[in-house]
Amino acid sequence: MRSGELRKYGRVVAAAFEMSLRQMALDGFILFTVLVQPLIIALMALWMLRERGGDYAIFVVVGSGMTGLWSSLLFISGNSINWERWTGTLETLVGLPTPMPVIIFGKNLANVAQSLSSMMAGYFLAALLFGYPLRVEQPLLFLVSLAFTVVSFVSFGLIIAPVFVINPGVQGWQNAMEFPVYMLSGFLFPIALLPGWTTPLSYLLAPYWAARALHATSSGGATLAEVAFCWAMMLLFSLVYLFVSSRLFRLMIRKARADATLGMQ
Amino acid sequence: MNTIEVRHLRRVYRTTIGVLRRQTKEVVAVDDISFDVRPGELFGLLGPNGAGKTTTVKMLTTLLIPTDGTARVLGYDVVKQAEAIRPRIGFIFGGERGLYWRLSGIDNLRYFASLYHVDPAVARERIPYLLELVGLADRGQEKFEGYSRGMKQRLHIARTLLHDPEVLFLDEPTIGLDPVGARELRLVIRNLQAENKTILLTTHYMFEADALCQRIAVIDHGRIVALDTPEGLKHHVQDLSVIELEVFGVPPEVLDRLRALSFVDTLSVENREQKQALLIHSPRGSEAVPDLLAALNGLRVGRVLVREPTLEDAYVRLVGGRA
Amino acid sequence: MRKLWLNLRLFLQGAILSYIALFRWLRPSAYLASKVFMPLNQILFFTFLGIYATGRDNASFYVIGNAVQMAAVSGIYGVTMSIGGDRWDGTLPYLFGTPANRMAMFLGRAFFHVLDGMLGVVLGLMWGVVLLGLDLSQTDPLALGLTVLLTTVSTSGLGLLMGCLSLITLNMMFVNNTVYFLLLVFCGANVPLAALPGWMRAVSRFLPLTRGIAAARQIIAGASLAEVAPLLAGELLIGLVYILLGYSLFRWFEFQAKRRGTLEAI
Repeated sequence: MRSGELRKYGRVVAAAFEMSLRQMALDGFILFTVLVQPLIIALMALWMLRERGGDYAIFVVVGSGMTGLWSSLLFISGNSINWERWTGTLETLVGLPTPMPVIIFGKNLANVAQSLSSMMAGYFLAALLFGYPLRVEQPLLFLVSLAFTVVSFVSFGLIIAPVFVINPGVQGWQNAMEFPVYMLSGFLFPIALLPGWTTPLSYLLAPYWAARALHATSSGGATLAEVAFCWAMMLLFSLVYLFVSSRLFRLMIRKARADATLGMQ
Repeated sequence: MNTIEVRHLRRVYRTTIGVLRRQTKEVVAVDDISFDVRPGELFGLLGPNGAGKTTTVKMLTTLLIPTDGTARVLGYDVVKQAEAIRPRIGFIFGGERGLYWRLSGIDNLRYFASLYHVDPAVARERIPYLLELVGLADRGQEKFEGYSRGMKQRLHIARTLLHDPEVLFLDEPTIGLDPVGARELRLVIRNLQAENKTILLTTHYMFEADALCQRIAVIDHGRIVALDTPEGLKHHVQDLSVIELEVFGVPPEVLDRLRALSFVDTLSVENREQKQALLIHSPRGSEAVPDLLAALNGLRVGRVLVREPTLEDAYVRLVGGRA
Repeated sequence: MRKLWLNLRLFLQGAILSYIALFRWLRPSAYLASKVFMPLNQILFFTFLGIYATGRDNASFYVIGNAVQMAAVSGIYGVTMSIGGDRWDGTLPYLFGTPANRMAMFLGRAFFHVLDGMLGVVLGLMWGVVLLGLDLSQTDPLALGLTVLLTTVSTSGLGLLMGCLSLITLNMMFVNNTVYFLLLVFCGANVPLAALPGWMRAVSRFLPLTRGIAAARQIIAGASLAEVAPLLAGELLIGLVYILLGYSLFRWFEFQAKRRGTLEAI
């Protein structure tokens, strides 16, 4: 890609990012998914895990933040293309010289940024309840893990969005995909608790690697090798997602143009 | 090279009815149409609702894939070379939706400017200019959701001009506008054509097509039933123009003499109390009046009324009989 | 006698309508997903979290808590939406224009959701037995059945009240979701009431589900109907209070709307 084009695409991403934040920031559904639900889950987990003892607070903060990230990805990023259709802007977007994946990338980035705020909110909540600031054991590694998490989640969003357009029936299973990923990714409890045959499924989920890296670096005690392996897995998944998503977008647009579903509600 | 070339374009919709026992129904929205639009022309697609105008425009703007036939815009195929077309065309379908309701007018335009790859410096100047052009200069800061129907339509027009496209597709642009707003918009459209843009306009308002378009394709049930200049179309129904001459007792030989004139199709006489009205059908329309008066040779003539056929007459004749 | 028949018919019509409305926006596959898999997901998630917290021996605490809480799904989402649905359909003016018995109309909306809710709880308990080793051998089936019925009735009562509130506010889904999750916290499904601070325990006492869950836990542990009767009575009472509150709000709403002429403008 020539540098001029890259700059143009960068501007598009920035514009879509800003537009998404402005348009959706005050939406009740989004606020619930991004803020309220993760906070209530955090609250419950904080109480429940109190019995366990130890320094579980940061674990809950990170874990509940991840539930917010995932739910937001599923319900909000997943709907990002359908939302344009409901708003009536999908036709215009398809008719643009900018490829649609670039726009959706910007929107997904905004969603992920918004839901990271839930992690922040959880942090403050826990700090409030416990009366002292919680500590992230390995802050630098944590931040790098967070960056990889953002990338892999945004890339995954680029897959769900067109799939939900190509096959609207899949959307009915959105609810069914929420909690299972919480469990299989080990957000709030180690996957060792689950039956052994689910472990390969966990390995196939990018959120699992994200959670593993983030928990390890925040609760402490992770070796660089172990964390780097998680990063490598997230990177691998991201590349696969990006490759598949470009195919999916092309398929989706072609299908929409053939079936005349761009303008439908 | 023609800006727009349409050859045997066809679009069939397949719908399924029923939940348990599915039946497929085929609706032919566009049925083998062909036409050309020359560079810098203001071309109209005129037809009733459901005629296939919007479907045609969607195919030309690369939003819909034709079932059959080909179309080229600026020399590029609308299906295979869509990416080459998109930067150079603008289109509006208008309506209540289609822009982001929680954003202001200006923010909507800024967003789309970046989506259209308009250089930020250029956008900074062009956006106020466009808002001024469509008459929204002082309402740009308000949120789209608060705009009236007419304002929304006008913002759509502004949006479509952001990247200064050479070809414009306007689908029923004045629909929903009040008469003043519609007239202003038509002025804008005419000015755009003066800037050498090629414009394809769809409408079901006859007078609008008559006032704006250089050539009109009348489309009904997916087919083009006529393609001509507005004058040419009216010529189709020239026989509908009626000349009414008020006279006070005309002897029968004079009537015969009038009937014998080459440009008189029919002549009928209506008796109105102390006057007579001669009702004459002539393909020459009002131009025939001086010669008619000369033929009446000194006889007193009262009122002279000429009823010219309108495009509506032509339209009704072309389209109305096919229901 | 005729009046009774009329009211019964009204009741049934309302019931059928609300159930059809349920299906209108839930296709069969989505209904399946929500009735069978969603409860499973929630029960599994919180049970595993609970096991992580307090060990495998306490699993049934969480299983029962979440299974019975399933009544809240139909109570909140089903009942609330079936009343709120009238507003969106614009049928409120027509309803209020009839001489029909309001109570019958009102309760009819909730009827099928009570049945639906009971089904949800039963399915939840079944998952518990099949997947998580829930032991029902000590259970008095009549007592459990009664508990499930009463709990569903009381959560439906909450749903009726929330449904009326939804006639006034706009952002109902947000409220629905939040109330559903808050119930999880307050009603003792996952956190023992004793562990909650005093003020939260006080709130729990005024909510449905709290006593029902407690009773269910005792019954499954072997308690008799007589032993949990006070809890069940309390649950029923709470339910009736909510129903009455909801009904009053319903009538007040109708009165206000007719007085101010805002029936359609809602």
